[in-house]
Amino acid sequence: MKLLPVIFKRQLVHYAGTPGTYLSIAIFSVLSVALGLHMSAWPEQDSSHLQVFFQLHPWLYLLLIPVLAAQLWSDESNAGFLDLMKTLPITTFEWVIGKFLAAWVVAATALILTFPLVIIANYLGVADNSVIASQFISSWLLAGSYLAVGCFIFTLVRQRTALFILTVGFMLIVSALSYLLDALEHQAPTWAVDSLVSLSPFSRYSAIDNGKFTLRDMLYFISMILAFLAATTVTLNYRHS
Amino acid sequence: MIEIINLTKHLNNKKIISDFSFSANKQECLGLFGENPTVKTALLDVISGSTTPSSGHINIQGFNTKAHPLRAKKLIGYQLHRCVSHPTMSVKEFLDYIAAIRGLRGTEKRAQVDYAATQLELLPVLNAPLEALSIGLKRKVTIAQAILHTPALLLLDEPTEGLAPDQKYKFRSLIQSLTQDMTVIVASRHCDELSELCTRALVIAGDRLVADTPMPDLQRDSRHFQAVTLAADAPLDLLALAVLPGVAGIEEHRHAPGTVTVLAMPGHTIYPHINTLIANRRWKINSLSLEPGRLSDVVHYLSRETPL
Repeated sequence: MKLLPVIFKRQLVHYAGTPGTYLSIAIFSVLSVALGLHMSAWPEQDSSHLQVFFQLHPWLYLLLIPVLAAQLWSDESNAGFLDLMKTLPITTFEWVIGKFLAAWVVAATALILTFPLVIIANYLGVADNSVIASQFISSWLLAGSYLAVGCFIFTLVRQRTALFILTVGFMLIVSALSYLLDALEHQAPTWAVDSLVSLSPFSRYSAIDNGKFTLRDMLYFISMILAFLAATTVTLNYRHS
Repeated sequence: MIEIINLTKHLNNKKIISDFSFSANKQECLGLFGENPTVKTALLDVISGSTTPSSGHINIQGFNTKAHPLRAKKLIGYQLHRCVSHPTMSVKEFLDYIAAIRGLRGTEKRAQVDYAATQLELLPVLNAPLEALSIGLKRKVTIAQAILHTPALLLLDEPTEGLAPDQKYKFRSLIQSLTQDMTVIVASRHCDELSELCTRALVIAGDRLVADTPMPDLQRDSRHFQAVTLAADAPLDLLALAVLPGVAGIEEHRHAPGTVTVLAMPGHTIYPHINTLIANRRWKINSLSLEPGRLSDVVHYLSRETPL
């Protein structure tokens, strides 16, 4: 665990040195505010929380997360770098977690940049700050689980373009799952629909997003992050031997 | 100290290393020779712990690479055959990063990075991005990375490739000084370059280890051992050379007329006799040299031969 900060720092420096990071963070925060304001009359209506903005996040992450995930392993996609890493005294676990945490922190930065909305909400009326906090946390957890998936996809493909497209594809499928479930509602047996609903991060997200901050939904995201990071570690270890 | 016992490695269902056993102590420099570069690289990979052996054991200072992979890796510095490259990282950033992963911190880290960069003459290019470097410089960075933490075991895979001749000379003296406090294993196809450097030679033929002998013994096996090469403008009296005591034969150089190599019989020294002959006949000789033995011939011969 001693080497985790080293990997974390290196990955953060890498993100800071890549223009793509700034661009995608800027697009994410501008779009989340602009679209939210465009789609509803937020200041007049329920300005006590920020649901109008946060409900768009699963879609806007389509722009941010694949960019971050594609850069996650770009050091190692270089010729010789991955081979070199294998000879160094570092466990795969430290290596994966360090990188993931750095990407997650960058995602948090993107979220924090929408902070002026909280100030506006507080200024305009009585804001329910606990709901807002739960919205921030749920959005961050969602970003984390998407990143963990992107991290895992790297172990399957090495090309950056393929990595990018697969991550986008996965997120699209996940985001569209709830719509698919609506369509299936009368055709498929209820238990199948119910079990699929419980798997969809989208429905979990909207549950927390509404302010229902339950342990169950939190654990869903955390376990998803842990599961995919563990899968990444196992696959990488398997490949090394 | 490193100990390898009955090491076997399969790659794609093909046996590439079969039943290797050897050990090496501190202050030893082992040359790894053989026709097939994949086997040599695979052996170094297995020793370094980046791939696992199919069977057998490797102990590095008592740490088994299977049971204590991290402890063993800490003791090893490995210069990979493939040069490292990165689009944005500079040489200094790269060395700092590797030093940090090696567990060095603060002033110790700075001192070690400085030491490695000075040893390999990388100071002028410390701030250049890795990708902009020439092959020779990249090779040097890869070597610098391996010696950062003063490992107990240094593995080098074709270290002199891409280096200019004068750099090769400097590199040899660097390895000689490093051998004072570590075990070095060098895989190379240029065995003659390493003849002064290595104390022992391991020759691989196919998937087997066919020879593990001290370097001078291997040189003694060459038919050019104790051979003398002479070059003169005027054609030499070959018969006079051939009848000297201990002469096994004479080779004329097809592309350089007037240059001959006189071979010695095993156990005989012919250099003084030739010297006397030259003095007596007053030959005008342009060059006269005693050969230490052509290692590449021996290695070539051994690696084609049936295993011992």
